[in-house]
Amino acid sequence: MGLNLPGAGAGAGPGGLFGPGSPTFLTTKIDFVVNWARRESMWPMPFGTACCAIEMMAAFASDFDLSRFGMERMSFSPRQADVLICAGRVPYKLAPVLRRIWDQMPQPKWCVSMGACASTGGVFDVYSMVQGIDTIVPVDVYVPGCPPRPEGLIYALMMIQEKVRQESLAQHYELRAEDPSRVASPRASEAEVVALSGPFGNSTQQNQLVGGAEVKAAPRSDDPTP
Amino acid sequence: MSQQAKSGLDAVDEGPVPSDAAGPASAGVPADPAGHPSVAGLIARFGPAIVHHEVSAGDQHVVHVAPTRNLEILGWLRDDPGARYDLLADVTAVDLGGGRPLQVVYQLWSIPHRRGLRVKCLLALDALEIDSVVGLWSSADWLEREVYDMFGVTFRGHPDLRRILMPMDYAEGHPLRKDFPLRGRFSRAEQTRRALAQDLEKFYTPHDIEIGREPQQVTLPAAPAPEGPGAES
Repeated sequence: MGLNLPGAGAGAGPGGLFGPGSPTFLTTKIDFVVNWARRESMWPMPFGTACCAIEMMAAFASDFDLSRFGMERMSFSPRQADVLICAGRVPYKLAPVLRRIWDQMPQPKWCVSMGACASTGGVFDVYSMVQGIDTIVPVDVYVPGCPPRPEGLIYALMMIQEKVRQESLAQHYELRAEDPSRVASPRASEAEVVALSGPFGNSTQQNQLVGGAEVKAAPRSDDPTP
Repeated sequence: MSQQAKSGLDAVDEGPVPSDAAGPASAGVPADPAGHPSVAGLIARFGPAIVHHEVSAGDQHVVHVAPTRNLEILGWLRDDPGARYDLLADVTAVDLGGGRPLQVVYQLWSIPHRRGLRVKCLLALDALEIDSVVGLWSSADWLEREVYDMFGVTFRGHPDLRRILMPMDYAEGHPLRKDFPLRGRFSRAEQTRRALAQDLEKFYTPHDIEIGREPQQVTLPAAPAPEGPGAES
């Protein structure tokens, strides 16, 4: 238990917190209070790009009602958001947008990658699609499914709450370290991107490994560019 | 049962033709020009410029015309009182692969006559240029940009021929061509690096991003002079 009730004698007044005669103050740990406040009032930033967003809306609607867990308000402004829910496929053209939204969110912040496409590229192992948003932004929880049920998203957000509960303020600078020079540049190095995107799809890296296809740019003089 | 009586779904059941298969560039059957009044009119008016006429999927009449005269022929189809194709529903293209010519497709609809017509122009792969029809139908603007972006067809006379779907600085070519590899030409790491290095402000002005038009200065007509005492209240 985080809350410690002091002895009945200390600070006892006529109208205490727990009835007459009970104390009018509580003692606790700062870690517990801060994590409790963060945990129970998370504002999600919905980044819905595809069918996963429909399930996300269902999770927010009355049947499943994420408000029960403190996700009272969808924060459509990243400046007031705590947790980014990336629901759906992300094409390369949208990658800088996702990255900018992540950079605009204030610390502390968390990220849920919802669905197969956001997590690995899914079935879209094609020229235009990001193979997992973890090559763009750091992800805390991946939700499998195509699309996941609302229960899956709720479970992911409860896992984030559990992650918050276990944090300590002493770890703050370690957990929240951000290198300003890396803002809006790839989070992962080239080797990391290849390692992340390689095993999931039958992607370019596998072609590279078996020498099955030329993956470097081929010169094409006949492509007109404006 | 004649070919004409086939429904569209029968043609779907036949399945796709492999792109590398040799043979004609389309699966339609040659048709009688008298079956469609606009086709008869086109042949009477333009003669040899109307290369081929066929029926696809049961009742869709397709006309292949000479790509050098597309503007003239489509202009006639729009303006002739017997044709009046005033709606350009779609401009797209088909790359059938195997070195066959690329098809630019115009899907027309005539609202007064309630008739549809599909016009195709075949372009050799080493000469992907055709006249723009933006002057005839404004709806062709973005559609031709899309065909340019996906297939690399240059539309002569287009007012603003830029990429529309792919990033503005996309350097890997035109993705819907048959010779384009499914996963692009660059490695995933290079694609990620290029995507995040996009300078959005360079390609999109605030004018593009916010709203299409500048706010207009509204001038209200001068109010009539009040008549008599008490009119201002």
